[in-house]
Amino acid sequence: MAEQDTLIEQIRAHVEDKLPALDGIVALRRTSEGTASYLFHEGDDLSQLVLNPRYPLSTTVSMLQKRFPEARFGIVARGCDSRALVEMAKRNQIDPDRLYLLGVACTAEEAEECHCATPAPDIAQWPQAELLGTPVEAGSPNPIVAEYDAMPLEERRVFWKQQFSKCIKCYGCRNICPVCFCEACALENPAWVEPGVLAPPFPTFHLIKAMHMAARCVACRQCELACPSHIPLTVLYDLMRRDVGRMFGYVPGDDLEALPPLSLTLE
Amino acid sequence: MSEPFEPRIVAFLCNWCSYAGADNAGVARMESPPNILPIRVMCSGRVSPEMVLRAFRSGADGVLVLGCHIGDCHYISGNHRTAKRIPLVRNLLSYIGINPDRLRLDWVSSAEAPRFTRVTKEFVETVRGLGPVADEIGD
Repeated sequence: MAEQDTLIEQIRAHVEDKLPALDGIVALRRTSEGTASYLFHEGDDLSQLVLNPRYPLSTTVSMLQKRFPEARFGIVARGCDSRALVEMAKRNQIDPDRLYLLGVACTAEEAEECHCATPAPDIAQWPQAELLGTPVEAGSPNPIVAEYDAMPLEERRVFWKQQFSKCIKCYGCRNICPVCFCEACALENPAWVEPGVLAPPFPTFHLIKAMHMAARCVACRQCELACPSHIPLTVLYDLMRRDVGRMFGYVPGDDLEALPPLSLTLE
Repeated sequence: MSEPFEPRIVAFLCNWCSYAGADNAGVARMESPPNILPIRVMCSGRVSPEMVLRAFRSGADGVLVLGCHIGDCHYISGNHRTAKRIPLVRNLLSYIGINPDRLRLDWVSSAEAPRFTRVTKEFVETVRGLGPVADEIGD
């Protein structure tokens, strides 16, 4: 892992250089208490800055920018963080002009593990951004998605009923989602999701979530990693990504200028 | 002997076109199926996926969304969003094994009473063929 070690050293050195000009840089910090998102300031111990385990940082940036409307923050961002920030910017949840993005290219193993199509941030579209590490090829696409159309309705139903029945309604998939930001969540509205029922009645809870991910999901895989019941949520969200791409030519997280198609008129 | 299956349909009708179309069908004494439970909404664009899912969860065997024709929306482009959203909901239903034909989007203007009766009759027959929704989403 010598290459990784040098990459993290490069990132730390870069962050140290940039900190004096910024109001802080958002990254992951590992301490004896665990790893969490953290706003690094000048003088902080940068040996605590880490890249793993992956954790989405876009919601932290959004919260900070709203709390401090004049401040200029930085972020150490992987490809998925950058894509999430793109979707958040389109929905007025972050201001790209007040953000310095230090992009980090993921390794080939990471790209493969995540089935990631863009394992490095596209820094060209950000006002202030740099990239560290060497971008690798896209990971192979999720194999289930390619075969999904051949699966009969009956089989799909049996599969998802079984999967959704494992749900303990912990809201972990929503809480970790880097593009979820509504203050009033439909999943907590008793009109749509009956309170006090476990597992949530098939299929409302998960379909509402999936519908809200349409034209928004940036395929970071965090929901699936966070799920304590190992529900393969990204299969549904990948299918929605594919459909939105086919129907509207829209790839979430790809282009800061492209607007989300579901809130636009027909061509 | 069990009763023959009669589908229950929730129909979301837009206030400006489809509800008026349904009203005209009634005034003109046209025959339309009694299986339809109409819910008047101000615009077909108001019909969220949550509403569609709740209708299914509450026992609707089919959900019909009727709005103004594209270009005739009282709110200019409300039905454009419907036109984009409902096909996605249909796809999503099919991905978890619910027959997407249980959800239908169509356009009926206020002057199209015959069209209203035709669309509703067609849809009732489609859903009759699919059987009760409880077979698909029931526990």
